[in-house]
Amino acid sequence: MTDYLVRFDSHPEPIEVQTGALLVEAARRGGVEIRQPCGGQGRCGRCAVLIESGQVRRRSVLRLSKADLEAGYALACQTVVEGDVAVVVPPAEQIQRRLTTDHVAPEAVVPEGYDPARVQTVRRILLELSAPSMDDQTDDWGRLCTALRRATGVTRLDTTLEQIRRLGPVLRASEWRIAVTIDTGRDPNGAAHLIRVEPATVAEGAPLCGLAIDVGTTTVTVWLIDLLTGRVQFQAGEYNGQISRGEDVISRIIYGSKNDGGEELRGLVLETINTLVDSACSRTGIDATAIAKATVSGNSTMMHLLLGIPPESIRLEPFITPINHMPPLRASDVGITMNADGIVDPLPGVASYVGADITAGVLSSGLRSSPETALFIDVGTNGEMVLGSSEWLVTCACSAGPAFEGAGVLHGMRADIGAIEEVWIDGRTYEPTSRVIGDVAPRGICGSGLISLVAEMFLTGILDKGGHINQTLATPRVRRGLHGAEYVLAWSKETETGDDIVITRVDIDNLLRAKAAIYAGFNVLADRVGVPLDSAERVLIGGSFGKYINVEKAVDIGLLPDMPWERFDFLGNTSVRGAYLALLDREARAEITEIASSMTYIELSADNSFYEAFTSALFLPHTDLSRFPSVAAAMT
Amino acid sequence: MPIDIPMDNWPGSVKTVTLGATSDQGGTRSSTVTIGGDQSLPFMHFEKPTANRPVIAMEIAPARPAEWSPVLLETWSEVVDDPGAWANACEEAGADLIVLQFGLKGAGDEPIAADLATSAVKTVLGATGLPLVVLGPGQAEIDNAILVPIADETKGERLVLGLCEDGNYRTIVASAMANDHLVLGRTPMDVNLAKQLNILMTDMGLPLDRIVMDPTTGALGYGIEYGYSVMERLRLAALQGDAMTQLPMMVNPGFETWKTKESKVGEGVPEAWGEWTERGVNWETLTAVSLIEAGANVVVLRHPDSLKRVRAAIDDLMAFETV
Repeated sequence: MTDYLVRFDSHPEPIEVQTGALLVEAARRGGVEIRQPCGGQGRCGRCAVLIESGQVRRRSVLRLSKADLEAGYALACQTVVEGDVAVVVPPAEQIQRRLTTDHVAPEAVVPEGYDPARVQTVRRILLELSAPSMDDQTDDWGRLCTALRRATGVTRLDTTLEQIRRLGPVLRASEWRIAVTIDTGRDPNGAAHLIRVEPATVAEGAPLCGLAIDVGTTTVTVWLIDLLTGRVQFQAGEYNGQISRGEDVISRIIYGSKNDGGEELRGLVLETINTLVDSACSRTGIDATAIAKATVSGNSTMMHLLLGIPPESIRLEPFITPINHMPPLRASDVGITMNADGIVDPLPGVASYVGADITAGVLSSGLRSSPETALFIDVGTNGEMVLGSSEWLVTCACSAGPAFEGAGVLHGMRADIGAIEEVWIDGRTYEPTSRVIGDVAPRGICGSGLISLVAEMFLTGILDKGGHINQTLATPRVRRGLHGAEYVLAWSKETETGDDIVITRVDIDNLLRAKAAIYAGFNVLADRVGVPLDSAERVLIGGSFGKYINVEKAVDIGLLPDMPWERFDFLGNTSVRGAYLALLDREARAEITEIASSMTYIELSADNSFYEAFTSALFLPHTDLSRFPSVAAAMT
Repeated sequence: MPIDIPMDNWPGSVKTVTLGATSDQGGTRSSTVTIGGDQSLPFMHFEKPTANRPVIAMEIAPARPAEWSPVLLETWSEVVDDPGAWANACEEAGADLIVLQFGLKGAGDEPIAADLATSAVKTVLGATGLPLVVLGPGQAEIDNAILVPIADETKGERLVLGLCEDGNYRTIVASAMANDHLVLGRTPMDVNLAKQLNILMTDMGLPLDRIVMDPTTGALGYGIEYGYSVMERLRLAALQGDAMTQLPMMVNPGFETWKTKESKVGEGVPEAWGEWTERGVNWETLTAVSLIEAGANVVVLRHPDSLKRVRAAIDDLMAFETV
């Protein structure tokens, strides 16, 4: 008996179905492939199709936005045929990134109208010096300074003994036609700093570069930037070499205060940074001496360890940093691979546990661009959060651990090629489908993959609200392993490593603690300011746990507050992005200083409501389910 | 001049839970015990009458508990070698409930075998008509191994089975549900954790009126303040209408006080500590009465003299109602 005809764009013949049939049934009958990673439960949104014409009834529109619906999208697994219908099945890759709740970090974009001559502190000037003679007995240095002043108005120039030693030969070899690279510094009226003198012929057309560096407790990120165009030439990230000496800032400080621990930690993080710089240079063909300046962001402990400043007082009451606002430093003193006379500019922090990563993050997140209240969260090993607007900023920090960066989790990894970054689980068979960065055999799970995995395990009943794996389920994927109960996400034959990729009870506990700390942090923050959390018109999310976040899943596990999804913006690594902006623009750099000075810091260890908020958040999604109405709805 | 006593009018109340079942109700108990139903903070009789008075459970073991204080073993004398006789002695001493507590080890070094555990429970049920609470040692594997057959073999008795804990509740809850029993959930002195365990257990379909919660406490001088305030906050949350905290509370001052040095050791201690037995009984009594004030619906005791003193204190607290 035929009631209606369904026509798929990819299929020559119309398919006959009865009233009440689902689109996926029609597709199956006609051999049209529509993927249903969640098992046809309307949760994953991957079966979205376009209804070109005809009458259908959408049983569920979860994961489709208003715009999607207006455009004619429907979930094939949830849509009932009620007339002759014409359907377009979009290619899978088109579906992957257009889901309403997926928020992908934006690419680094050169600020509009970037003009190095106007905003950049690093400048390379071609100078033609008058040659000395018996009538003009000015010394080489005076000759250089005079020419520079005439060309740029710079009246004071700092230098080093080594540069002066090299000056005479270079001037003569270049026949007095030179390129001078200087840094004019944070203060336009202050002294400029000489970075390099080279023959003009060599400099012409040669690159002039800078670095934006984010030193995270778990992950170090380096961007190589062409200062002439402002473009990011290369981005690289790697786990901080200090991890093996402690996973969080406290254990690093303790390690650093023993014997030569501080020097060892400094060496380890420098090695990580320099390896990244080396690979950036070799991949782009740029010589490290062309790197004239680096801006460095990171939490206060990382900054102190990198600079070899003893950080013990950060750990001990009353939790004071040796220094929040560092002066510019000489590259060779810091030890970063770049021009030895280049400038390293450590960005300013606020307090022991709110560092430059947050001031830079506030800048790059645009939190201050609007008078509306917004919440900025940096999901890292330390979860830092800022509530505020263009008028005010309040901040706090809590220790989340490295789980969201893929560390401290058995098969965790950085968001890199081979990392599982999204997971769907079929609620009937408990079989997973996953997406791997680079479309290769998986090696591990990155932070966004872990969020996604825990959410799916929870919604399909593999995890109870306490995060315990239900071992009574009839699936070989749930089993007992060395670390207790575990769920097998990928069998050994599917993985690059040849081992099963699993998530264990211990991993889940780590993730739960991490998400609970972060959720508790912004609850306490909002309470202290005296505003309801949902008064935040925007939620700006930074962090290096992945290139994207699925907001719905982060809400499902109670990491993010249950708010309309469109309020969330995922910005990726906001810290390195802030360092990048500060590298390019003197005013952006000044704004970070202003942000650092104007932020009010709340010390959570002095706030006894934090622990209470933490234990109540140590549940999926939260002990108080009424805070998560959308999750409650998804569970029924 | 008449004084208006300010009164709280609470929107919530504690669930009423009945332990044990008579033959009419599918069990073999001669009477049942009903706890909970509180509509105000403890003994605020002028606000709401106390629905059910706090009850006293006496703890016994399936075999002589060698680790118990010599004071207790001497007091109970030979009955400690026979759980039936011991239960009987407790009933005669005036207990409302019996708690049969299994330890980590049976007669030898191994955990008690499931069939022996079951027959110990049957012995106790045969010897006393009081409702019974059966607790495993609190180690998941042993608890599950002994409680499942016990639950099966005593279907309909409305025993209270424990321990349900955050990491191990499924098996016990499932067998309690299948056999008309109740469960005891224990959490380590935290309001949120107590609430979370109740959510997990009710998510399995267990009705709230079949759960008793043990929020854990400490003995006087050993953290009772912390336990007290957690119980007080649980009770306040219940009265404020938070459903997942609206369960009667059972705490174990007997276990907590008799493990302290003051109660357990009689020799080589300062003379100022006073007479050993009196000290232990006072310790247990004061801890129990404090916890009853905090909202405990069941206190588990070990010494028969403590039972009498706590009973007298409860009588006093309840008598106030008629003033």
